[in-house]
Amino acid sequence: MHDRQSQIMRANHFFLLAFCVGAIGLAVYGSVSGDAFYLRLATEALIFAGLALSVDLLLGCTGALSLGQALYFGIGAYASALIMLETSSFWLAMVGAGGASIVAAFLGGLIANRVRGVYFTLITLGLAQVVGKIIYNTRELGASDGIIGIPIVNVGFGQWSVSAASPIGFFFIVLAIIAILYGFLAYLLETPFGRVLIAIKTNERRVPFLGYSAWRARMIAYVLAGLVAGLSGALYPMLRGFVSPELLSFSASGNAVVSVLIGGVGTLVGALYGSVILVVIKSVLGSWTEHHLIVVGALFMASILFLPRGLIGLAHSRLPAQMPESQETASRSISLSQEAS
Amino acid sequence: MEIVDYIQFVLAPQMINGLALGIAVILVALGLTIIFGLLDVINMSHGEFYAIGAFGALSLALVGVNFWILLAAVPLLMAPLGFLVERLLIRRVFDSKDRHVSTLLLTFGLSLILEDTLRALYGPNTHRVDAPVSGASDLFGIIVPNYRLLLIAIGVIVICVVAFVTYRTRLGAVVRAASYDRFMTSSLGVPVSWIYAGTFAVGVSLAGLAGVLLAPLYSVFPTMGRDFILLAFSVVIVGGMGSIWGAVIAGLLLTQVQALASLVISPVWTDPIVFGTMVVFLMFRPQGLFGRIGHA
Repeated sequence: MHDRQSQIMRANHFFLLAFCVGAIGLAVYGSVSGDAFYLRLATEALIFAGLALSVDLLLGCTGALSLGQALYFGIGAYASALIMLETSSFWLAMVGAGGASIVAAFLGGLIANRVRGVYFTLITLGLAQVVGKIIYNTRELGASDGIIGIPIVNVGFGQWSVSAASPIGFFFIVLAIIAILYGFLAYLLETPFGRVLIAIKTNERRVPFLGYSAWRARMIAYVLAGLVAGLSGALYPMLRGFVSPELLSFSASGNAVVSVLIGGVGTLVGALYGSVILVVIKSVLGSWTEHHLIVVGALFMASILFLPRGLIGLAHSRLPAQMPESQETASRSISLSQEAS
Repeated sequence: MEIVDYIQFVLAPQMINGLALGIAVILVALGLTIIFGLLDVINMSHGEFYAIGAFGALSLALVGVNFWILLAAVPLLMAPLGFLVERLLIRRVFDSKDRHVSTLLLTFGLSLILEDTLRALYGPNTHRVDAPVSGASDLFGIIVPNYRLLLIAIGVIVICVVAFVTYRTRLGAVVRAASYDRFMTSSLGVPVSWIYAGTFAVGVSLAGLAGVLLAPLYSVFPTMGRDFILLAFSVVIVGGMGSIWGAVIAGLLLTQVQALASLVISPVWTDPIVFGTMVVFLMFRPQGLFGRIGHA
């Protein structure tokens, strides 16, 4: 039995596969041609794709728009930076960043999940502003300059290890982590818990009548989104060697929302594509003109007005015919999609 | 007599500075709350309209336009802009399933474009606009710059006019009827879509007016809207979305918190304190001081 949600997610896995194959191909090409700059840029795009993934878990799956998701990204980055200054252990940094972002997201969720809709959006924005300004003013955390000179770590897997300084090695590690985060969220959405989230998005008032606690499900989703953002953020100082309050800023959160909307809300994989597209636009246009935000803003508005399901949604309309599945499920998916539209 | 000196030379001037800022924030928040309360639209680009007002004042002042003319000219010039934004953009997502989120995102995209356009036109540097009046007055022993007094006076007049028109005139009643039930109102022969566009234009004009009034006090730069919009949103939230008097009271309250916090604690800690106040308010009274919870 596959309902429409499973159909969509299965189709998205193909897009993820295409994404990974494309990324690996380009990375190998970049490595052979000795182009470290673009490999580093691609790694950064993947890291911010993790933040976009976290926004999409909230917006696409529970319908809650967070404009402050960079808060947990930044907390993960700072936690990881502080741990690496002490121990220079990759795994400890990841565990520490994950733990810090879970604690922070739990506290933030207790505050933000008291309200819904626009109030949720504004409270997340306010929370990120408060914490961002606190870090900006804390001299122990480097204040406005952030923390620089974070040592390069080795990512150890038992016998062998990869240095974060190796452009292609670290690119693959980040790609693997982001793919694992995607896989984890995609798996989660297939579970009954994932269906509760979708029920909340559709009609939150009816969820309690089905015997589920809407508040608990929203809390879990919020904490998981914080964890995904925090783990992605933990990778940032390994790549760039510094952290700054900019990571928690409104523009970082806003970029993640733009990525999700351009790629396709609720598809998870759209967040990855959107993030890469955004970084490409910014760097390509940025080499021509300083004013790439005009193009980003126009593209963003166009995608809301004319492409409400994003780029992935555009590709989806033709997808079921190409999917390797039995005739029966294919015809059902078409009738289901007609019902839904 | 140290306490008297403290009040006369430190506390009172600081509170009057807070009052001047408060009036300006209320003007920005007034536009936001009208657009939200009557149109049910979250306008994230409102801060950029405020910045456009300030830059408009800057450009027109450079070609020699008198400040008093600017006060009327800039809002009038910006009204068609607001009208067009509503007709061309907001209208398209007006009937979408989740209007709050779609209008919020659409105006967020618009704010990126507007901010970068300002940067392209004027460069990233800060500019200054000369105040029309200089010097300071002595009010019961408290020295207050004249321009701040002027700002407070103009602001209070504008706020009273807006509240009067909204709650005490036939036009205001029509606008409120259109926001309450647009189908019923349009069947009574009211051109509801023009009312909506006009309301949006008024909100944008108010942001522009705040930009003109604040330009001589603070420096003018392309991202000025971004810092200010968060404060204005806090005011709208604490006051209760859509409530004009809520915005007035919350604006005075939050700017006094800001002024006193910068005096007692430290200027760098004012933002966390003000936004923290907003978050606490949202937690315990999400509808704000005068808001209705069913509205959002």
